[in-house]
Amino acid sequence: MISQLGSAAVLLALMTCAIGAPLGYFAGASRSAAGLQWTRRMALAFALFMVLATLLMEYALITHDFSVSYVASVGSLATPLHITIVSLWSSLEGSILFWGLVLGLFTAGVTLLQRRGHEDYLAYTLGTLFVIGLFFSFLIAGPANPFRPTPLPIPTDGPGPNPLLQNHILMIIHPPMLYLGYVGMSVPFAMAVAALLRGQLGASWLRPLRNWLLVPTSFLTLGIMLGGWWSYEVLGWGGYWAWDPVENASFLPWLTALAALHSAVVQQRRGTLKAWTVILVMVTFLLTILGTFLTRSGVVNSVHSFTQSPIGPLFLTFLGICLVASIILLSLRIDTLVSEPSEDAVVSREGAFLLNNLLLVTFTFTVLVGTIFPIIAEAVRGVKVSVGEPYFNRMAVPICLGLLFLIGIGPALPWGRADKRALQRALVWPLPAGIVGLGIALLAGARSWSLLLTAFLAGYALWVTLDQALRPARLRAKKGESAGQAVLQTFVRAPRRTGAYLVHLGVIVTFVAIAISSTYKENLEATLAPGQSAALGGYNLTFKQLDIEQEPHLTAQKATIQIEHDGKDEGTLQPRFNHYPTQREPIGTPAVRTTLTHDLYLTVMNVGEDGRIGLRAIVTPAVVWVWLGVLIMVAGTVICLIPPRSVAVAEKARTVEANA
Amino acid sequence: MRSIYLTLVVVVLSLAALMPAAGQEAPLGAANWDLVGQPDGPPISGTELDLITEEVAGIMRCPVCQGLSIADSPTALAIAMKAEVKEMLSKGYSESQVLDYFEQSYGEFIRLEPKARGFNLFVWLAPLAVLLGGLLFLAMRMKKPVVAELEPTATSSSTESELDTYRERVRREVAS
Amino acid sequence: MNRKVLIVGALIVTPLLIFLALSFGKDPRAIDSPLVGRTAPDFALRGLDGEMVRLADLRGKPVVINFWATWCQPCIAEHPVLQAGAKQYEGSVEFLGVIYQDEPEKIQAFIDRRGAWGPSLVDDAGTVAIAYGVYGAPETFFIDRNGVIVRKATGALHPNELASLLNGMLQSG
Repeated sequence: MISQLGSAAVLLALMTCAIGAPLGYFAGASRSAAGLQWTRRMALAFALFMVLATLLMEYALITHDFSVSYVASVGSLATPLHITIVSLWSSLEGSILFWGLVLGLFTAGVTLLQRRGHEDYLAYTLGTLFVIGLFFSFLIAGPANPFRPTPLPIPTDGPGPNPLLQNHILMIIHPPMLYLGYVGMSVPFAMAVAALLRGQLGASWLRPLRNWLLVPTSFLTLGIMLGGWWSYEVLGWGGYWAWDPVENASFLPWLTALAALHSAVVQQRRGTLKAWTVILVMVTFLLTILGTFLTRSGVVNSVHSFTQSPIGPLFLTFLGICLVASIILLSLRIDTLVSEPSEDAVVSREGAFLLNNLLLVTFTFTVLVGTIFPIIAEAVRGVKVSVGEPYFNRMAVPICLGLLFLIGIGPALPWGRADKRALQRALVWPLPAGIVGLGIALLAGARSWSLLLTAFLAGYALWVTLDQALRPARLRAKKGESAGQAVLQTFVRAPRRTGAYLVHLGVIVTFVAIAISSTYKENLEATLAPGQSAALGGYNLTFKQLDIEQEPHLTAQKATIQIEHDGKDEGTLQPRFNHYPTQREPIGTPAVRTTLTHDLYLTVMNVGEDGRIGLRAIVTPAVVWVWLGVLIMVAGTVICLIPPRSVAVAEKARTVEANA
Repeated sequence: MRSIYLTLVVVVLSLAALMPAAGQEAPLGAANWDLVGQPDGPPISGTELDLITEEVAGIMRCPVCQGLSIADSPTALAIAMKAEVKEMLSKGYSESQVLDYFEQSYGEFIRLEPKARGFNLFVWLAPLAVLLGGLLFLAMRMKKPVVAELEPTATSSSTESELDTYRERVRREVAS
Repeated sequence: MNRKVLIVGALIVTPLLIFLALSFGKDPRAIDSPLVGRTAPDFALRGLDGEMVRLADLRGKPVVINFWATWCQPCIAEHPVLQAGAKQYEGSVEFLGVIYQDEPEKIQAFIDRRGAWGPSLVDDAGTVAIAYGVYGAPETFFIDRNGVIVRKATGALHPNELASLLNGMLQSG
């Protein structure tokens, strides 16, 4: 019953896309108001059907309706309710359905929020969104149909979702955040395509495009961080980023989205780089499709790999079509995006922006090549090679140092041509802060050149960021406003500015935290009998006892470890060793003690029959600042979305009220 | 369970080492280590050995894991490999010798960083090429300012484009 | 029509799509063994029966080395295949079993129940498995009279596969 209803809902969604796509393009080309109205209705209908299909699937999951094939493959009577609900995105078919849902919601969002103006842009935008929706509804309705009825006999129970996905609460929020970011990139892409079709990218369309780029970027930033945090807390290897292909797949569009946002800033300021903004926005979306292809087709070795599935070739085909269509569209229409003549000095803020984008694009290219090089090498040489963490770290460090350098000097440099003295003043003024940063690092015992350079650049950048962010407030305060008022007004008048500097602040914090946490990690592996202790980094760890916990879907061996830090008793940590009936190898869940200065990370490597455990302990400094730094970035990105309260509008409002 | 097994192994090996008469049995791994020749350097031990073991294990891939190094992997195979790496290093073999030895049986796959030779150079040099190429491109563009036609082409309606240009100028002037 | 964009786009996209398309049908987890065609790594291991077996001593006869464990389902499935093979080629082909990440007691219990097809050699620190590039069980290596590995089979052996390989090795010099 649910199978049929669900399949019907998906087919209806497919139909709305099939109708909406040509309708949208037609309405855009002929500027038909009626056409646009119907396109909007189709958009809302698409969203409605997707929501319906999702609700039906959730209902089937919760009621354990094993006649639906997806429920039969990931459902289980033993699974707790909250995990059953999120098992919607735990496996391939369900996650494609989830993709469709998010796409539907974004399409409806664009329809509802972009009411005034831009009619023909909007029609084209919706048309493109429908084309994307068409592909995904086709997948959901056909090859990756979660509503397919289970072949008889209908089982009375199922295997449950992947055990790794049941271990932690982050499983609940990481995928949705990532999807909102990933799928959301379709919207700015569609808007960029609209601009190309229209033959124009003016300020009026740039603003919504930028906003609709900021929204998924903030979700994506959060999603990536949650993924890293989940990897750290659940996978047990003690790190938070391994440059695994699926991590890279989420990272690539994030990098180009950042480049696009910066390009948009230059476009708004100077009217240049229109073509680059459009190209970068389109590349961002194309990378999301490429990334999805890489992780879902099974062609690369990855933590997230769903097995080689039939949808791989379909994704590749869709990717190919999108790539070819994008290139053709660009080559036909890019010359219509007229830019102002640019006479930029190299050493100017524009120059810094260009260099920044070059670094981001190089970073993207490097990570992309590194990720698919095993495929290329196998095709060319017939040999399997690995491109792993050491390679990516080696490449990332100089690029990130370059970016940190630009975060420092970029905002310090003035726009346009400036005389040499002004330039020198601007660049020298923050130097003391850099030296202070360097000094702190040296005092703390740092000796590696990369760490010292990071400290210097971070100090410099921190000074510049705070200085530039508060500059208008200082000017206001000079004119007589109170400090608090000054800061508030600065924020209210230009939230985008404040948000941007906040993001830079977050980046600085994150870079420094990553540098510290990777350099000063301490590691220990020991075999302990009950009562035995091991020492690491000021900690004394005593293995107290081993308990067995039986849950319906797993058996856990819990080791209680007594923690003493610098003589003080800090309680206990309980790393677990989980045995799932469906897996051969048990999966260890680490126990982490997080403080503002460092993390203590404990994992059970093995449990001997004699009751002795193999314990792995890692003390990593500053880990929590990696998460906090990224959260600051997310907050900054969200603040950028707040519309400014402009003086003119406020005065006009007052005039209108006065005359009323 | 595994620790009992390992203890037994250690005891057996120690006993075997102590028995002079059993001399015909060569240490099990050594016969194959000859594939990479004699150790390049002197034997090492203690913390120096631990540190370099971590370093080398960090660039070797665990064959049965998802992209983890044998330093990070808790699987039995990774632990066995790491132990052998440690033994080789303690005899004085260099990092490249150790990697070469494992490459004999596992292939290039075992290296987490591709050897910088032959076709693999692509993955090492391409990013550099992109960076340099980009810098060159930027340098050329900055030297010659782009002179754009100020007539927008066909499709846009004139009022919209005028308004947009006007808006842009105003926005630029207002934004400080 | 902006030719520059078209050409640059085509130059980037075409190889990308080609490589991605070529990657289908290749399992990224299957690693070809570089040992095929090379001399088999020598070893000297003690079997559960206490006998020392040295590979070099067996030169002149084809050898089948099977890495297995009791926790591995395909190993248990191929056990009768190896038994039949060992019986059929008794005297002309040597069958050696190497214990892979398992306990000698469990192996012994299994053999007591199901019978052996050759010595079960104890590979203490896993060094022999590493020398052979083993990363799972079961893996079977076919070594010809000259000590060269002619084939590596992963997964449970099929009787036809076993027979054809062994016949081939026996026929060739």
